[in-house]
Amino acid sequence: MFSGLRERLQAARNRLAGSIGAAAEAAAPPAEQPRLSPPATPQKNPTLADKVKILVIDRELVVSEKNVAEALDELEMTLLESDVALPVADAIIADIRAGLVGKHRKIGESVDALVMRALKTALLNVLGKGLDLPAYIRSHERPVKILFTGVNGTGKTTTVAKIGAYLKKQGFSVVIGAGDTYRAGAIEQICVHAERLGIKIIEHQTGADPSAVLFDTVQYAVSHKTDVVLADTAGRFHTKANLMSQLDKIRRVMKPDLIIYVDEAVAGNDAVVRAAEFDRTVGADAIVLTKADMDSRGGAAISIAHTIGKPLLFLGTGQAYEDIMPFEPDAVVEDLLGSGVS
Amino acid sequence: MDTLSSSLKDALKKLAGKAVVDRAAVDELVKNLQRALISADVNVKLVMELSKAIRTRSLDEELPKNTNVREHVLRIVYQELVRLVFATADLKLEPQVILMAGLQGSGKTTTTAKIARYFQKKGMKVGVICADTFRPGAYGQLSTLCEKINVPCFGDPKATDARKIVREGLVAIKDLEVIIVDTQGRHALEPDLIQEIIDLNAITKATHRWLVIDAALGQQASEQARRFHEAIGIDGVIITKMDGTAKGGGALSAVAETKSGIVFIGAGETIENLERFDANGFISRLLGMGDLQALAEKVQEAQMADEVDMEAMMKGHFTLRDMYKQLEALNKMGPLKQIMSMLPMGNMQLPEGVYDVTSTKMVRYRILMDSMTSKELDDPGLINSSRMQRIARGAGGTPEEVRELLKYYKMMHKTLKGLRGAGGGGKFNMQRLMKRFSGMQ
Repeated sequence: MFSGLRERLQAARNRLAGSIGAAAEAAAPPAEQPRLSPPATPQKNPTLADKVKILVIDRELVVSEKNVAEALDELEMTLLESDVALPVADAIIADIRAGLVGKHRKIGESVDALVMRALKTALLNVLGKGLDLPAYIRSHERPVKILFTGVNGTGKTTTVAKIGAYLKKQGFSVVIGAGDTYRAGAIEQICVHAERLGIKIIEHQTGADPSAVLFDTVQYAVSHKTDVVLADTAGRFHTKANLMSQLDKIRRVMKPDLIIYVDEAVAGNDAVVRAAEFDRTVGADAIVLTKADMDSRGGAAISIAHTIGKPLLFLGTGQAYEDIMPFEPDAVVEDLLGSGVS
Repeated sequence: MDTLSSSLKDALKKLAGKAVVDRAAVDELVKNLQRALISADVNVKLVMELSKAIRTRSLDEELPKNTNVREHVLRIVYQELVRLVFATADLKLEPQVILMAGLQGSGKTTTTAKIARYFQKKGMKVGVICADTFRPGAYGQLSTLCEKINVPCFGDPKATDARKIVREGLVAIKDLEVIIVDTQGRHALEPDLIQEIIDLNAITKATHRWLVIDAALGQQASEQARRFHEAIGIDGVIITKMDGTAKGGGALSAVAETKSGIVFIGAGETIENLERFDANGFISRLLGMGDLQALAEKVQEAQMADEVDMEAMMKGHFTLRDMYKQLEALNKMGPLKQIMSMLPMGNMQLPEGVYDVTSTKMVRYRILMDSMTSKELDDPGLINSSRMQRIARGAGGTPEEVRELLKYYKMMHKTLKGLRGAGGGGKFNMQRLMKRFSGMQ
């Protein structure tokens, strides 16, 4: 998982540490440095007095923008090659730069640790907290209604089946609403999944109003005291105004507790555009990224999470029902940056 | 594609605005190009190679006679971009077997039906085999689509062995000329499935092996394409979902990786939304040159060549009558935006409102125009408020609707007037492009 991005990030980390280390050595009489930079904001550019104090008392070095510029450029390329969208990569780099430049480093402290902290903070900032779905369901009034949205072919229907299987295993009762009444074969697809998993499904025929199907599904859940409603919908592009307003109608009719936006981990720059558009028109409370098994880069996760600022719920990692992984940002960042994170 | 196109145009316009084209100006152009291409998902390494080539050629190559530096640089940008998308993939109207390959959810099944429709419209006898034995509903989906266009679809929803189904299918529909084999979605890191497609390729002895790529696919595209290419030798790429905002840069990377060409572009959910790809036209459109050839093909297909006088329209003669015909033809030709993007409009920006007319509105407009006199259709200037009242009453609408229609007409008229001089002569006129970009004359 994300092994490509991991390798690259670790390489970038080493380069950053290298250039800061080299800069530190170059600035052999470090007292020279502070005089060159005029004091601006006290946080980022400590005053001369501060620096002298730091140097004399705490024996620290200050990282300057020049020290890290080249390494950060390389890191940006790394992020771009890993499918992080351009504006997002820019934002992350700015974040890391702010985290590094002007930071004090104790002479005894390793450069590595400083760089790691900046990288880790930046990534954690982006990836957010994550969301524990079973805990969410337990703490909310049943039935918890979950609506799945996204563009065509990202894997909504498969994800609905997988999450259904996951929740069933956690001991919840589940009903699925076959809300994709447009695509040929879609109802058949979700029905086969539901049958295999032993999950109740509510369906109408192809061409029916999806709002009606999903309303019926919610009614069923209420009268049968089902814990969770999973509402599948047809894939739609954010550029189609009428399809987006259909989705809005679905939202008004079934009043979902959670709207889950589904996209694929292999999507490039467009991931940002469409995530933002879905978030703007119908909202999104959490994200599921599918097809993470064919992606060793994981940039889309970073892009989407950064753009709409919502937690990643699950990663889809294969074609079987159990190929779904709850997303834990701490673990992922830890994994990305390798061992030795302080 | 629109955004890529506009950012490319911006980059070139900036160059055009420069008083002197020197090293710094070229560096800036290259940097802007890089950003534009990377945000379009073109492979980062590919972008770096491309921009390096543009930089070295721009600075080192001798100036051809009768051109200035600016034109020279623009020509290099154009040539390098064309090199990136290679030639159009080969496509002949003869008996053949086509094997579809691609990642999960890239749109293989929908595209299979669209291609079947394409060959059918060209007068070929087409059959389809559903070799997706994994995804539930796959056979149902394909057979429903095929039923709509009356194309035989071989398959069995209960089958589990794709190889067996394909063998049986090849026998069952061997009398047909074009056989398209739809396969299960797979990615390069699934060895069993890659082996399966290698076997399917051997069984079908496919004439073409086309890779279907989602326009939104990112940097992963190169790698996936390479593996597919190693396995079965991809000889064509189809970009799907171009109706969203994705720019298809991933597909371009896949083309570069497989050294093949783009066969089709899919842009829409209905079975007709498939376009042949032409590299020159694609790049011209990207740079704002328009693609008259593709438009001509569309017009012909809609069998309206004699109804709409393109020439007259380009010259600025555009009456309500023309608009009526245009609206009539629209249903056959596809969305207005698609058509407009084929017209040579240089780097001109169209008012967004032009596209804001939904199909239901189009129908209303036609009804309104039906209750106009032919004088009014020829000279919309005649329409005053009492005529408006009459038209509205005749069409069962309100005068506001008539006013809206006239506003729309004026916008179209203005747009087409703006086209005059931008194109007209020939499908591709480099000289004119240069001049437009350089902002002179």
